[in-house]
Amino acid sequence: MWYPEWPLRKPGVPQDEPGQAVGANGRVEAVNAVAYAAGIRRGMRRGEAEGICPLVTTVERDHSAEMVAFERVVTEVEALVPKVEIVEPGLIFVPVAGAVGYYGGEDLLVERVVKEIDRVAGDGYRIGLADGPFAAKHAAAGTTGDVPFHIVEDDASFLASLDISAIDREEVVATFRWLGITTLGELARLPGSAIASRFGSVGLDAHRLASGRDRLPNPRDLPVDLTVVERFSPPLEDLEQASFVARAMASRLIEALAAVGAAPFRIVIEAEAVDGTTRSRTWRSADPLDDRAIAERVRWQLRAWIDGVGAGIRGGLAALRIEPADLSGVGRQLSLGEDARAASETYRALAEAQAIVGLDGLLQAHPQGGREPGDRVAWHRWGEPPVRARDPEAPWPGRVPGPSPALVPPDPQPFHIEWDRGMPVRVRLGSRWVTVRSWAGPWRRVGRWWKGEEPGDQYQIVTSAGAFLCEIKNGQTWLVGIYD
Amino acid sequence: MLSGDPGLGMTRLGLVMLSGYTEGTVAYLDVRGWLSPVAAWEVGIDPDRLVIARCHEVVRWGRVAAALLDGATAVMAEIPSGAKDVSIRKLAALARNRGTPLLLRPIDRLVPTGVAHLVLEARETTWTGTAEGHGRIEQRKTRITASGKAMKGMTRTIEMEDDGSNALRVVSGVAAAETRSAAG
Repeated sequence: MWYPEWPLRKPGVPQDEPGQAVGANGRVEAVNAVAYAAGIRRGMRRGEAEGICPLVTTVERDHSAEMVAFERVVTEVEALVPKVEIVEPGLIFVPVAGAVGYYGGEDLLVERVVKEIDRVAGDGYRIGLADGPFAAKHAAAGTTGDVPFHIVEDDASFLASLDISAIDREEVVATFRWLGITTLGELARLPGSAIASRFGSVGLDAHRLASGRDRLPNPRDLPVDLTVVERFSPPLEDLEQASFVARAMASRLIEALAAVGAAPFRIVIEAEAVDGTTRSRTWRSADPLDDRAIAERVRWQLRAWIDGVGAGIRGGLAALRIEPADLSGVGRQLSLGEDARAASETYRALAEAQAIVGLDGLLQAHPQGGREPGDRVAWHRWGEPPVRARDPEAPWPGRVPGPSPALVPPDPQPFHIEWDRGMPVRVRLGSRWVTVRSWAGPWRRVGRWWKGEEPGDQYQIVTSAGAFLCEIKNGQTWLVGIYD
Repeated sequence: MLSGDPGLGMTRLGLVMLSGYTEGTVAYLDVRGWLSPVAAWEVGIDPDRLVIARCHEVVRWGRVAAALLDGATAVMAEIPSGAKDVSIRKLAALARNRGTPLLLRPIDRLVPTGVAHLVLEARETTWTGTAEGHGRIEQRKTRITASGKAMKGMTRTIEMEDDGSNALRVVSGVAAAETRSAAG
């Protein structure tokens, strides 16, 4: 549910004259109908917009004040459907799966919500109902003042007709257009692997959204409860004090999440008043929330509770709790020591390398348990989360002792050893033979006999040209590793 | 440049050098697909910071190496046997321009003269720890010659010990120094 003109609901902004709200980045974030008719669009620079319409009234966004007014709408909607998620003042997502059944259908639910919000905030709302938030927001954005709601039957077919700019990824939209891809449907029809190889993870992200799959990318399970809680004694009675504490809590939360390589796309803010009452709100973001974004949202929410409708926080704030949710490895916040520009350049350069060699050509690896050198490596594509099949800390009796061979062919290579009375004497390297100086082994390898693997004997062979790890199976000698 | 037959320890020496770059991402361009990351972890490279690009096609090799040089803190690149001299020269020039350390490891080929600032060539290696069927390999001593612009016309022979960790020790700085006239 979206009030696109919510930031303009301020004293001094006439509704019948052009008005625009500008964000901290100097870009237009909201326009009223008159300004829209004059040619001003969201995302424009302030100067450009004022050049198009010199008489436009410009207001700076004040999320905190906007949220105080919007709290009333959230409260009314939450009274009908629980678990409302706030994106920003004026925009909320509401999971309606249960409520649709309760109210007897989507139309009846929308009718009920419209009645309540119309009563508390008047018209100007847009409602989109779809399977996912991306489609729901665009369904709401596509409505008009005459028919302010749109119920999407099928997300994929609805999204297919939208312009490619709907993915909101400036870095790839122009290239898509240049390639003749002008709608989300055309993008969705392309194979994901082709998009990934040309555009990397940004392209994959766009393809995912265009296909109607707006679930969390690269999701992470929370290894332990990382919720940050602060109790105050004496209770806090001042918003500035609470905001200060919230900043420290947000930093602590992001630091703990960074240690596990995750960032939250959703947070639950919970405040406990001295009288024991607890208030809670969920905030969601399309981009991962960093500590500044979390602290801001906590501040907006606390001010909305204090100055907005309801009982406020009686007696002061006794406890504050921030719970992270929807964790993902995408967009993790850089730590203080990390250079954001360098990280971004690295990402771009590696994405380019990945586009050249293909998805399976750019890899990372993490340790996992195993006996053979090759078994101890869990490979994964760069940009994807690591997957460990076996515990590296578990005992692996019989594993090849260190130091490990630096070169391990993916498949054992034929190797020629000359034996004399059961002892290796020469090995062939290319076209020449080199003398064996010493060796260790044989080490019997039983193998996974239940999977049909043959037993073998491993040797470390040391020559004047280096050391080699080899294995003899069924009378055939194989090179397993080179100690290069 | 790290030169020498496979088995003489130059891959591990290169990994030890990469482990010295503790910020950002280090990259290894793997032409054969044989690099074992276990060896990289043993010398102290953080798994999260190591990216391995596999590319056996000569045509793409130069482009991939150039992309890695753009983004990584340091790059170790194997050179495929079919790579053209001009590609290697361009790559070396790009590394100098970017200021990114580039370790070249030729596979079955020579590197054109004048490309490398420092050439380390493994001559011989000996392992201790194994006997006639007993023990396991434990420690390696490698004799390496160092030459190139960085050596100012000198060729020095160095002995290094390696026990699998990143504490690669130079045990004999100038075991046998030779003086050669600088090549033009």
